[in-house]
Amino acid sequence: MNENKIKSDFVAVASIAAELSAVMEVAKEISLAAANAKAIAFRAGEKAKGFQPITDFINDLAKETITLVNNINAHALQLYRLTVHEHRMSQACNHFEKVAALAATAAYKDSIELPLAKVRQQKVVSRREFETHVAELLDQLAEVMHPARAARVIAANSRIEASQAGEYLQSLQAVAESVDHAAQIIHVKVHLCRSALTRINTVDCY
Amino acid sequence: MKMTKIYDGAYQWIMYGRDPNKPEKIIDTNQYLVRTAKRCLLIDPGGIELFAPMLAAVLHHAPVEEITDIFASHQDPDIISSLGLWDQALPHAKLHAAALWEGFLRHFGCDSIEYVAIPDNGGVINLDTIELQILPAHYLHSSANFNIYDPRAKILFSGDIGAALEPPGCPIFVENFDEHVDKMRYFHQRWMPSNQAKRAWIDRVRGLDIDIIAPQHGRIFKGDDVKRFLDWFDALQVGIAI
Repeated sequence: MNENKIKSDFVAVASIAAELSAVMEVAKEISLAAANAKAIAFRAGEKAKGFQPITDFINDLAKETITLVNNINAHALQLYRLTVHEHRMSQACNHFEKVAALAATAAYKDSIELPLAKVRQQKVVSRREFETHVAELLDQLAEVMHPARAARVIAANSRIEASQAGEYLQSLQAVAESVDHAAQIIHVKVHLCRSALTRINTVDCY
Repeated sequence: MKMTKIYDGAYQWIMYGRDPNKPEKIIDTNQYLVRTAKRCLLIDPGGIELFAPMLAAVLHHAPVEEITDIFASHQDPDIISSLGLWDQALPHAKLHAAALWEGFLRHFGCDSIEYVAIPDNGGVINLDTIELQILPAHYLHSSANFNIYDPRAKILFSGDIGAALEPPGCPIFVENFDEHVDKMRYFHQRWMPSNQAKRAWIDRVRGLDIDIIAPQHGRIFKGDDVKRFLDWFDALQVGIAI
C-alpha cells in the first residue's frame, strides 16, 4: 500500500464524516417537522384526522435515522483511527527500510529485521481490518436508505391527507414537502458516502 | 552521521551528529548513546527526519533490543519528534521525560514505550551498574527541562545549554573558546528566558566534578573550557526579547 493510497483514504474517510454530519442535521429537521405537524394536526382536529398517525411515523423515522447515523459515526471514527494506524505503520516501514539500507556495514544491522517484519505485518493486518470496516459501513449506510425511502412514501401520503384538511391544507402540505425534501437530501448524502467508500475499496494506487 | 566516542571506560558515551545528508533547513543536533554491557540509553534521539541515519549509526554500536532507555531533555521536535518510530522499533523501552510534558509528548506516538515521568526535582536512571543523575534545568530553555550528569565519566549532558548555531560540518569539540563565544551568545540570550533560572543552574553545576559538557547543538566543551563556559554563561544577561 503506497502513501498516496493512504492519503486518499484519509480524504475519503473525512468526506464521509462531513456527509454524515449533514445527514444528522437533516434527520433533526425531520424530527422538528414531525413535532410541527403534530401541533397543526391537533389544531385541525377532525379535518386532519388521517394526518395524525402520520406525524408519529415521521417522528419514528427521524429517530431511527438519528440512531443509525450515530452508529455509523462511531464506525467512521473507528475507520479514521485505522487509517491513522496504517499511516503510522507505513511510515515506520519506510523508515526501517531506510535504516536497513543505511546500516549495511553496521555490526548489528540484522537487529532491525525483526522490528521491520513486525511493522510490515501490522500494516497488512491494519489494511485487512480497514477493509472489513468499510464493508460493514457500506451495509450500515444501506440501512439508512430504508427510512429515507419510507419517508418519501409517507410524504406522498401526507400530501393526500393534507388535501382534506381545509384551511390547514397549506401548513400540512409544507410539512409534507419538508419531509420529502429532507428524505431526498439524506438519499443524496448517503449515496455520496457509499460512493466514497466504494472508491476506497476499488481505487488502485499500487 | 559522524560517530565520536567521548568516553571509553567500562562503558561508553558516543556522540552522533554532523549528518552530511541532513535536510538543509533543519537545525543540526547532537545525539548521545550511553552503552553498557547489556543496555543502552539514547539521549535526545532527535527529530523524525534523523531517525533512519541515527538508528543506522547506533547499529554500529548496539543491537536494537539492547536500546532499553530513551531520555528526552524537553519536548521540542528536534529532541524527540522521532518518538513514534522508536515506539515501533523498541517496544519494550522506557522513555524518561518530564512529567509536565507527558500529555504533549504522547502526540508523537507512544503506545508501546513505557513513559517514566520525571518529577520537577529530577531523579536517576540506572543502567546496568551505572547510575546517571537527572538534574533539573528548568527554563533553560524549556519550562520543564533536564540535564544528565554521569559522575563516573564526569560528563554533563546539558541539552540546549552550551548550544551554538554553526554551519554544517563544524568540529566536534570547542577549539578556541573566545572565538566560539560569538556562536553561542544569541542562542543563549534569546532562547533562555530567565536569569534567575540560569543562576540556580550555575550554582548547582559548579558543585559537580565535570570533564565534559556535552550540549545538544554545536560543539562539546572539555577540560578548562568547562569552567570558561560556566563563567561566560554566569555573566551573560538572558531573556533579551522583552
